[in-house]
Amino acid sequence: MRIVIAEDAAVIRDGLALLLTGKGHEVAAAVGDAAALCAAVAEHRPDVAVVDIRMPPTHTDEGLRAAIRLRGEHPGLGVLVFSQHIETRYAAELLAGGSHGVGYLLKDRVAEVSEFLDALARIAAGETVLDPEVVTQIMGASRRAEDLRELTDRERGVLALMAEGRSNAAIASALFLSYGSVEKHVTQIFAKLGLPPSRGDHRRVLAVLRYLEP
Amino acid sequence: MNVSFRALPAAWDPRRVGRELGYALVSLPMAAAGLAYLLLLVATGLSAATVAGVPMLAVGVLGARRLGAADRRLARALLRMRVAEPPPFRPRPGLAGWLGSALGDAVAWRAVAYRLAKVPAAILACATAVGLWGGGPILLACPAWWAGSWAQGLAMSAAGAALLLLAPWAVHLALAPERLLVRTLLGQSGAAARISELETTRAQAVAESAAILRGIERDLHDGTQAHLVALAMGLSMAKEELAEAGGDERLDRTRHLVGVAHRNAKQALAELRDLLTGIHPAALDQGLETALGTLAAGSALPVALRVDLADRPPAAVETIAYFCTAELLANAARHSGARRAAIELAAHGDRLRLRVRDDGAGGAAMGRGTGLRGLADRVRVVDGTLEIDSPPGGPTVVTVNLPARA
Repeated sequence: MRIVIAEDAAVIRDGLALLLTGKGHEVAAAVGDAAALCAAVAEHRPDVAVVDIRMPPTHTDEGLRAAIRLRGEHPGLGVLVFSQHIETRYAAELLAGGSHGVGYLLKDRVAEVSEFLDALARIAAGETVLDPEVVTQIMGASRRAEDLRELTDRERGVLALMAEGRSNAAIASALFLSYGSVEKHVTQIFAKLGLPPSRGDHRRVLAVLRYLEP
Repeated sequence: MNVSFRALPAAWDPRRVGRELGYALVSLPMAAAGLAYLLLLVATGLSAATVAGVPMLAVGVLGARRLGAADRRLARALLRMRVAEPPPFRPRPGLAGWLGSALGDAVAWRAVAYRLAKVPAAILACATAVGLWGGGPILLACPAWWAGSWAQGLAMSAAGAALLLLAPWAVHLALAPERLLVRTLLGQSGAAARISELETTRAQAVAESAAILRGIERDLHDGTQAHLVALAMGLSMAKEELAEAGGDERLDRTRHLVGVAHRNAKQALAELRDLLTGIHPAALDQGLETALGTLAAGSALPVALRVDLADRPPAAVETIAYFCTAELLANAARHSGARRAAIELAAHGDRLRLRVRDDGAGGAAMGRGTGLRGLADRVRVVDGTLEIDSPPGGPTVVTVNLPARA
């Protein structure tokens, strides 16, 4: 994979570059702010951009703004946004522009390098990856608690993994279920959330997005 | 009345002489106009028995406050007095509140008293100025018009010169009652001055501690947290390398040690993240509306949010409003059995009103382990108030009133 990193903390930027090159990826550029990120993406045309939300000059959300802009300007670019805190609203903003090849992870997740690399590969392949923390916040909070109440505990667990962007096979192995019973749970979730039949993958995303809608 | 002989040379400073003379001369017409205004006010006051008289009296009193402000400016400019600004007029809401505030406004009534007391003071100052500055030159020039003996003429001329020499000092002295009145009736009263000083220093302390906390949060984020992430990442990479390194006893021990270190690093990261959220919620960077939106989204209850703010309040106020909302929503979800909640935040003049309501069982009160006491204490630090309206059976409405400006 060809990757561009935007992260203002040099120690993390260098660590990521070391990790990714060590795993055989090409780190085309590693930059420290949003403007340099946009320039680097335009120049190197990477498969994925890894973007820290909080960068200079204001140290608030310029990474998120840049990521949203980049997704508009470069369709097909995978974007992994990560931050020290999870804000459900950021996830909703990020997904508002479509859920193809986008991820939002807590920065802590790079502490599990294999999971991080797996997430990156899935984003490059066009999947959606949401941090379990986002899912917990949404599930725990939910304004749509009434919809959720309809779900069994097992179905909630399946939905949580779906929200993280896992496939049915991955969910089956994570929950020690058969592939068939995961399929059955997923169908039940769609039915209980009132999601109309459509292309399978699209429905999965809709199920997740229902909980992100303001 | 700082009149000493050491002040004498200063009394002859031409700029000061000019300013004081000017003040003494205008003070009499001003006092006359002020007296006319007072008579008008008294007439209004007498008619205040009628309904229309009360608002007119209130307007009149506030007018005196305005005139007092003009006098204060004049005294600052010409007498170079440092008169502290009294607190601005802060009417209570509603027409009745406004009338009550106006008629009970001590600053305005002191300005009325000033108008009255100024009359004799101004006569004294003006008469002294006109007598000495007018009489002096006339006497000095007496050889030009005196028909008597030259000796008498010379004496009168000398007296004129003496008058002129004494005039600056005499005018300065004659303005002493004027200065006293301005200081005592137009300035701040002693307690008010102390209060305003305390308010200023407290606001500074609050703003400073907010800035310090923000700085600590930024340092921890940019430094400690980044290094912890890098450390945990490095340990994770080491773990993976070790996993492929085959098996002997020492390697197993190393694997175990690295595994423990990795878990500890991740634990430290999680704890640091919670700590940082407690210091400065990241959502506040985008302003209160976003931050409260995040809280509403994260609440276990369905929450309706309405925010109506034109400008961003001071950082300390934003933080307090955020933590109040967080605590109140948590209370609503935990204790009240509410089915829904609503947050309203709106600016009313220079105050902010934050209102959190829920349809729960009510009965919330200060000091029942709900953290409300602690909230009220935090709110008071920035000169805010917290009111609880929570009858048994509900609904509960908590209103937090905060300053919108520093």
